[in-house]
Amino acid sequence: MSFLKKTWVLWTVWGLGSLLAGGALAGILFVGGPRSMMLIGETTSAHKQFELACESCHTTGIVENLTKSPKKLQKAMTKACLTCHKDEKKVSNDSHPTKKFRGAKGAKLRAALNAQQCGTCHMEHTPEITRANAVTLPRDLCSACHQEIGEERATHKGLGFETCASSGCHNFHDNTALYESLLVKNSGGDWLKASPVHAHIAHGRAVPLLFASLSDQDPIKALEDFVADLPESSKEQGAIDKLAKLVDEDKILKAGDAIAPAAYVTADAVGKWSSSAHALNGVNCGACHAPDVAQSTDLSELEQNWIEEPGLTVCADCHREQAKTFTYGKHGMSLHPKISKPRKPPTDNPLLAAVFLFEDQPVPPFKVGDSYLAPKMHKEAHGRELGSCGTCHKPHDVDLKDAAVESCVGCHDDTHTRNYFKSPHYEAWQAELAGNAEPGSGVTCADCHMPKIEGRGGDVFTTHNQNAYFRPNEKMIRPVCMSCHSLDFSIDALADPNLVENNFNGRPAVHIESIDWALSRER
Amino acid sequence: MKTNINKYVAGALCAAMLAGCPAVTANAEGVEYRNVTDMLHAVMDSDRTIYTKMIVKRLVAEKKLIKATENYEDDGSAPLPAQMFRLGAEAVADRTDLFEYSLQSLWPINKPNAKNQTELEKIGLQYVADNIGENFYGEEEIDGTEYFTAVYADIAVAKVCADCHNAHKDSPRTDFKLGDVMGGVVIRIPLD
Repeated sequence: MSFLKKTWVLWTVWGLGSLLAGGALAGILFVGGPRSMMLIGETTSAHKQFELACESCHTTGIVENLTKSPKKLQKAMTKACLTCHKDEKKVSNDSHPTKKFRGAKGAKLRAALNAQQCGTCHMEHTPEITRANAVTLPRDLCSACHQEIGEERATHKGLGFETCASSGCHNFHDNTALYESLLVKNSGGDWLKASPVHAHIAHGRAVPLLFASLSDQDPIKALEDFVADLPESSKEQGAIDKLAKLVDEDKILKAGDAIAPAAYVTADAVGKWSSSAHALNGVNCGACHAPDVAQSTDLSELEQNWIEEPGLTVCADCHREQAKTFTYGKHGMSLHPKISKPRKPPTDNPLLAAVFLFEDQPVPPFKVGDSYLAPKMHKEAHGRELGSCGTCHKPHDVDLKDAAVESCVGCHDDTHTRNYFKSPHYEAWQAELAGNAEPGSGVTCADCHMPKIEGRGGDVFTTHNQNAYFRPNEKMIRPVCMSCHSLDFSIDALADPNLVENNFNGRPAVHIESIDWALSRER
Repeated sequence: MKTNINKYVAGALCAAMLAGCPAVTANAEGVEYRNVTDMLHAVMDSDRTIYTKMIVKRLVAEKKLIKATENYEDDGSAPLPAQMFRLGAEAVADRTDLFEYSLQSLWPINKPNAKNQTELEKIGLQYVADNIGENFYGEEEIDGTEYFTAVYADIAVAKVCADCHNAHKDSPRTDFKLGDVMGGVVIRIPLD
C-alpha cells in the first residue's frame, strides 16, 4: 500500500510540474516574457538584432499555424521577408523573379526549385548549413534548371555548377553588373580612368569649399560669388540651384540667428551650426531639438520641449531616404517600423494574472558587442549602441568626413579596415583632404559601402543601408567601382579575396573570364 | 465543351482592356472556352501587331528615332515586341489568376523556355506551325490543376521580326522570313 501511495504522490508531482512548466512556456510564447529559450537555432547575420521579436517574421498566429496549409504558411513567411527586402530586390532587377515561377508556365521550374518562396534557398535558424549570403542550399543549386548549359555554350563546357555563383560570374538575384551585353559594351579600357572621380560624391564634397567661402565678412556676397564662379555644368545641378535660391530669398541663417535656451547656446555648437548645411537651409535649433514647437521663438517654450539628442524620427523629417535606408541596414535595423514591438499585455481576460509573470520588456538597444561581428570590432566600442544617427554623425558639423571614415573605424577593426590606411584609396582621400586633388577623387569607407545613389525620383542621396551594395560584392561594381575603374578590373578585383582583404593594395591576382567569353560569342 | 464561364469572360475582358471591368453578361448557355481564348487572343494579337508595326518597324527600323533593345532599362530604349508581350502577361498575372498567357516557340532564343514547355504545348506549337491559319485547343493537367489550353500561331508580321531573330546569337533558327510562323501564343484557363 505504501508503495502505491508513493507512486501516486510521484505521479501528482510529475503532473503538476508538467502543467506548471507547460503553462510557463505557453505564457512566454503567447503572453510575454523572455523568449530566447524558444530560439531553435542562431539567426542569420543582422537578423540577430530582432531575433526575439518573433512576430516580425512569424506573422501567422497559432490558429493559422494549425489550420493553414504549409504552402500558405510559406507564402506568409515570404511576404514577411519582402517587408524589408522588397526594395533591394527591385534595385537588383532580379534575374529570378518570383513571377517566372508562378502559374502553369512556371510549374516545371517550381518543381525544380521553388524560388517563389525565399525559404527555399534561405532557411532561417540553421547556422550549420548557412553559407555566404544566407544561402542554405548546396553550392550547385543552379544545376536544378541549367543542366544543359555546358552543351549550349562552348565556354561553359566542363564547368562545375558549384562555380556559377562563386567565381564572380553570376549571382542568383543581382546580375546588373554581370549580364552579357553590359560585359561586351564595357569591355576594355584602362583599369583606372584618366580622371577618377565619382560624380555624385564630387558634388557633395564641394560643399565644404562652399562653406570656406562663407567665412568671409559678407557671407551672402561670398556665396553669390561662389555660385557665379561655378562652371556652367555644375550650375545645372539641382543642389546648386537650390543654394542660389536660398541666397535670393535670404533664408540662410547666421550665428546671431540661433534661437535656443541660453544654456544651449554654446560657442562650439553655434559656431559649427552656423557653418552647417542646417543653417544654410534655414533650419534653426528648434527644428531638431524641439520639433513640436519648431517655429516658436519663446525660449521657455523651447526649453520645455527640448530634446538633448534628437533621434532618427526627427532627422527623418528632412532626410527621408537616408533614414529609410538606415533602417534597412545593419546599423539601424532595430528601428525598422515593421520589427514587432513588445507584446501588449492582456488587460481584460483570464490571462491578466499572467501579466505579472510574463510581461514583455522592450528589447534593449542592440550594441556593437552583441553582433556576430563583435570579434572584428574594437573592444572599447562593444558597449556602443546602434540605431542613432548621432552614433556616426556630428550633427552640428558641416563636414561629413568624420562619418565617412573616422566613425567607421571607431568600431570596425578587421583586416580590411586596418589595411585601408595603407591603400591607394586612402592616399587619394588624403590628397583630396589636403586640397591636392579634386573633390570626389578620394575614396572613403562610406563611398564604397554607403554610396551616393539616385533615388526613384532622380534625387541623389547617400544610401544608409550598408548592405545594399555589399553582398554579393558585384553589386558594388556599377554604383561604385566603375566611376573610376574599368569593368574588367572591377570584376577581377572583387573576385580576389586577398585583394579585398588587403583593401585593394595591389592588382588582382585572378582573372574572371566572363568578358572574354562574352566577346567570343559576338558575331 | 460548353459551360457557364461568365466570370472568365468578365475577367478576360477586364484584364485585356485594362480599363475597368465592363458589365459583361454572357448568354444563358455560357460561352465556350475556345471562344473566350479566341477573344483574348484577338486583343493580344492586335496590340502586339500594332506595337511591332507602329513602334518597332516605324520608329526604330524606318525613322530611326528610337532604339528597341533587350536591355531596354539600362539602354534607355523601348522593349522588344516579345518583351512588351511578356510584360503585359506579367501585369495580367499580377491582377488575376483566371487565365494566363505566354509567348512560346519551338525555336526559342532563351533555350530553357523550350525545356519548360508541356507536351501539349509542344504539340500545339507544332500544329500551328504545320497548319497555317489554324489554332490548336486541348486540355492538360499541370501541377494538380486542369487547364483548357489554346495555342495561336505567332507570325512575323514585319521584316524586323525575322531579321532580329535571324541575327540573334542565341537563335537556334536563322532562316525566318516575313509571314513565317515563329512561335505561338499559349493561353490557359484553369478548369477547376
